[in-house]
Amino acid sequence: MSQQLATGHTSTQDTANSVVDDSNRGLFSFRDLARVDEALTMSSRETGLRFTLYLGDLGSDTRGTAEDLHLRSGGDTSNAVLVAISPGQRVLEIVTGAAAARRLPDRACALAVLSMTSRLGSGDLVGAIVNGLRQLSDSAGHPSRRSH
Amino acid sequence: MSVIETVLIYGVIPLAVFVLLAAATLLPGRGQDQTTYRPGQPWDREPVWFEPHPDTPGVPGHGDGHGDAHPAPGLGATAAALTIGEHPHAPEPPRRSAAGGARGTW
Repeated sequence: MSQQLATGHTSTQDTANSVVDDSNRGLFSFRDLARVDEALTMSSRETGLRFTLYLGDLGSDTRGTAEDLHLRSGGDTSNAVLVAISPGQRVLEIVTGAAAARRLPDRACALAVLSMTSRLGSGDLVGAIVNGLRQLSDSAGHPSRRSH
Repeated sequence: MSVIETVLIYGVIPLAVFVLLAAATLLPGRGQDQTTYRPGQPWDREPVWFEPHPDTPGVPGHGDGHGDAHPAPGLGATAAALTIGEHPHAPEPPRRSAAGGARGTW
């Protein structure tokens, strides 16, 4: 890790082979994209939960849309945590699955939402995402060692 | 001191300093403003869904995906879409998967 950090790149061994979709060019700069990518991957890796980030419109029923997205997030939705941000509506929704909610209680999510909204209010979209994910993964902690 | 000297010293030199400082202030920030979000601006971009890398150890796998381009290495399409313990023909997914969360506005 220290060798990779010394080279000046933000990507680590786990985030090196990024798949970049060209349809949304200009949404983030490459540096910001790497930060978001690393935050998502590392928080998912540390906690064993599956963090996904949705950035777009959430319709009139923002909570319902976010829960619907969570249902369709693929894989084990019980372990999935969806962070949905609708910058146009100025709404942020965090949805946790059944197993994820035991490790990420609503209180921890509300704390993360609070710190994210304060950054979003000043226009720092990437900082809100990165720090929110970091706070969520810190709250969730490491997965318990259980036999699969 | 002639009129021309006066104009040069008291007019042109301050103007040159002003232009120089303005250029030094404004020029380096150009082109970096494209990704900043400002509260209150309409958001007219396509919805985008970011997900963690599927091939990372420790990251739980994902299902059939949603328009992303992550080829599953070494596995067929059916095998890649199913996690261990999941039935190939699950009759219907649960109606609601959300158990908690939080909401905020800014």
